[in-house]
Amino acid sequence: MVDIVVGISDLKVSHRPEDVLVTYALGSCIAVAVYDPVAKVGGLLHYMLPDSTLDLEKARQNPAMFADTGIPVLFKSCYSLGAEKRRMIVRAAGGASILDDTNFFRIGQKNIMAMRKIFWKNNVMIESEDTGGNFNRTVRLALTNGKTYVKTSGGSIKEI
Amino acid sequence: MIEKILNSIKAIPAFPETVQRLMILLNREDYSVQELATVVKYDQAVTANVLRIANSAYFGLREKVKSVEQALSLLGRKNLIRTIQTAGVSRIFRAVPARGYVTTGSELWQHSVAVALMSQILSRRIRGEEDNVLYTAALLHDVGKMIMGEYVEEAMTAIMDKVTRQGYSFLEAEEEVFGINHAELGGKIAEKWKYPEEIRDAIRYHHRPDLLSEERPVPWFVHLSDQFASLMGVDGGIDGLACRALEQTIPMFQLRHKDLETCFILLHQDMDRAKDVMNLV
Repeated sequence: MVDIVVGISDLKVSHRPEDVLVTYALGSCIAVAVYDPVAKVGGLLHYMLPDSTLDLEKARQNPAMFADTGIPVLFKSCYSLGAEKRRMIVRAAGGASILDDTNFFRIGQKNIMAMRKIFWKNNVMIESEDTGGNFNRTVRLALTNGKTYVKTSGGSIKEI
Repeated sequence: MIEKILNSIKAIPAFPETVQRLMILLNREDYSVQELATVVKYDQAVTANVLRIANSAYFGLREKVKSVEQALSLLGRKNLIRTIQTAGVSRIFRAVPARGYVTTGSELWQHSVAVALMSQILSRRIRGEEDNVLYTAALLHDVGKMIMGEYVEEAMTAIMDKVTRQGYSFLEAEEEVFGINHAELGGKIAEKWKYPEEIRDAIRYHHRPDLLSEERPVPWFVHLSDQFASLMGVDGGIDGLACRALEQTIPMFQLRHKDLETCFILLHQDMDRAKDVMNLV
């Protein structure tokens, strides 16, 4: 097993069964894990912000920073390794917030809403989602079988 | 319990003497690079750290710095104070095993650096300039966790029960279980290290700047910077997002939602440029 680390505003794809794509410390950011069980191709995106219109130049340099630019690149990168849209399984985690954060940051909620909207528009179903809450998460995607695990900062690991 | 915790402050290492001597020199108007270099070179660990920090992209020096004299003459006073504080504080973070809140000491260090970087982004944006006092306060804001970690580890079940089931913030749970929180403890440690009142108070009140009777901006800047870093996932440990955001913060700084998002991009950028600093511990 080889851990391939996905940083903040970063994405990685792979078709090597021994690889595990991992991203640490998702606060309000979101990890989108996609997997094609037939082609055994998977990808993991860790985006930071919902909407690229905030800074188009940044989005051009680094599409993985935003949901609306990162998600399409994630899918296209998987297609180039032989994945097909109709077979892709999508899972997502992250989008946490601070306690009582009702009136200002809301960045976690905005990230969740942006992702749901993009998948809805593109007729893609989100298979499972572990979002919100007041804790950080680490996400792992095992390329051998597409299983996706979330570890919360409290310690427990679960499959989503 | 409070007595026992306060007593543990004695166990924390003395602040590196080299750093204190350098700060005295830097606070004089007429320091010379030669004088500074003599003090720095006396301490191998500080020398190594100064060179690594000076060469990080964050300070943007055009040439690669090879000697202490070169670093000291190229950095300028503002960056020198930061470099020297960072070099000194990183040694302490390395020396004290982090327990309870984090699994590795580097987690707490990376959070501290991220909050320090964020404090300068906000200071530039809101006050048009950077601020060394704020930088140092931000770097040290969670120093209390180095002592508190041991107690938090022992009382973890009780604390997490309050946080996950009873609606407490982590800080409130600390207060209830121990009678003191990590911020207050950090203020006491800063006192032991002879930091000025402004820095001590910013550490002590970084979760509750509203409790300070005088209106002072530094604790509010640290409060907000802490939240930015934690939301980015660079948190100070298990308590990370289980903290309260004071609602008056954003109106006070007159930040719109778009500004907040832009600040995340700036923090991401600075964390990348300061990678060498983040990896010191």
